[in-house]
Amino acid sequence: MISVTPKNLSEHNVKLDLNNLSPEQVALEIKNLDLYYGDKQALQDISMSIPKGQVTAFIGPSGCGKSTLLRCINRMNDLVDICKIKGQINLNGENIYDRYTDVAALRRKVGMVFQRPNPFPKSIYENVVYGLRITGENNRRVLDEAVEKSLRSAALWNEVKDRLHESALGLSGGQQQRLVIARAIAIEPEVLLLDEPTSALDPISTLTIEELINDLKKQFTVVIVTHNMQQAARVSDQTAFMYMGDLIEYSDTNTLFTTPMKKKTEDYITGRYG
Amino acid sequence: MDNLNIGRHISGQFNEDLERIINQVMHMGGLVEKQLTDALTSVCDADEALAKKVLNNDYLINNAEVNIDDECTRIIAKRQPAAGDLRLVMAIVKTITDLERIGDESGKIANVTLESLSGEHKDLLSNLDNLGRHVLTFLQATLDAFTRMDYDAAVKVHKSDDKIDREYEALMRQLMTYMMEDPRSIPQIMSVIWSARALERIGDRCQNICEYIIYFVKGKVVRHTTPEDFESLS
Repeated sequence: MISVTPKNLSEHNVKLDLNNLSPEQVALEIKNLDLYYGDKQALQDISMSIPKGQVTAFIGPSGCGKSTLLRCINRMNDLVDICKIKGQINLNGENIYDRYTDVAALRRKVGMVFQRPNPFPKSIYENVVYGLRITGENNRRVLDEAVEKSLRSAALWNEVKDRLHESALGLSGGQQQRLVIARAIAIEPEVLLLDEPTSALDPISTLTIEELINDLKKQFTVVIVTHNMQQAARVSDQTAFMYMGDLIEYSDTNTLFTTPMKKKTEDYITGRYG
Repeated sequence: MDNLNIGRHISGQFNEDLERIINQVMHMGGLVEKQLTDALTSVCDADEALAKKVLNNDYLINNAEVNIDDECTRIIAKRQPAAGDLRLVMAIVKTITDLERIGDESGKIANVTLESLSGEHKDLLSNLDNLGRHVLTFLQATLDAFTRMDYDAAVKVHKSDDKIDREYEALMRQLMTYMMEDPRSIPQIMSVIWSARALERIGDRCQNICEYIIYFVKGKVVRHTTPEDFESLS
């Protein structure tokens, strides 16, 4: 392999070896995961390591299993009766599919944001502190601090600080989505799952959220599913391309979008799929 | 165009856009090849009219470069090409810069024709003609490899630039001997040196184009590599 990149440039853009991450670098480890909806197998033998403090994107055509895989990470698929899962997902070295796992505790560690903003029909303030209240936190000072910190992290504080007690439903779509992100990070999860977080938003709100994702990775491990390949290229450090339930290629984003190894990946990202 | 595989995009317009720029590059390559051929013929035949024609036609190559450049910018803005498509557009943007410079070098060669050489120095030009013919073959092989995006051909052509460099050095030594023997001939010999230098530069630019072909096909950057590194490619 020839490497001609000048030293200072290569240091600027540190690439992780995704096959050889040290245990400290790994946030999530997915091992031989199979998932069935009834008789139909939706995920086939998925194995991958998701590094800590980075943004990992799942891309692929509709129905390829990327949202299903994302939902496995906080056991949302448990809610689907016909869903059967084999294999394991380790969070901090512990299998989340272990029979003794407390699912509520797991979801506190792994927050999730969906495609459509879904604020509760309550005030902005109450939306953000909802998770904390459930855990029994009622100290006003603690809650106030958490609201400011979360809204600042979600780049929403300046826009809503004077109307914290107004209904969250009065916010714009982009603001609602950032509020939902603030609600998810208020309980300080380790991992944040984003399922097409900007597909219902206008381009400017999308850019705000993308910028936010870049800031969030300093505190959390972010996993994002997106239909927008350019978005994956812009926000993620690693990208996984999935097709018909298989993980086809998983590598650092710069490589995947300029010199993919597999023909299927190349065809998909260059718009030749179909 | 076997390796290009451009015709399979879901967007037919994108296919057309890429096909159009590739055709434009080939057309530009044809123009450049013609300019070099004419420049060399004008030197050998002392054909001043042909030399002037070469100088006058340089604008065609310049226009082609600007047009293809525009087209590539538009494709990047509108299509956001990725992977192979992105490498193709980048390879083309760089290739046309080198092609345009080859056009300029051909102009420099044509200029020598216009500086009348006295009879006793005519034999110098026959050496130039040899080097010129090799460089022309080299350019043709490069354009051929580009048309087919042929990785093996590009590697082979890239390596053969050594021969041109050696021939250039031999010619230089010969010209220096002439200058030492007869200092009065220095002005004329200098103009032969300029055109030999132009030919050598054309060889280097063809080599660059081969590097872009390799980049497009394999995604490997082979610029600024040592010959030993390059050896391991094939």
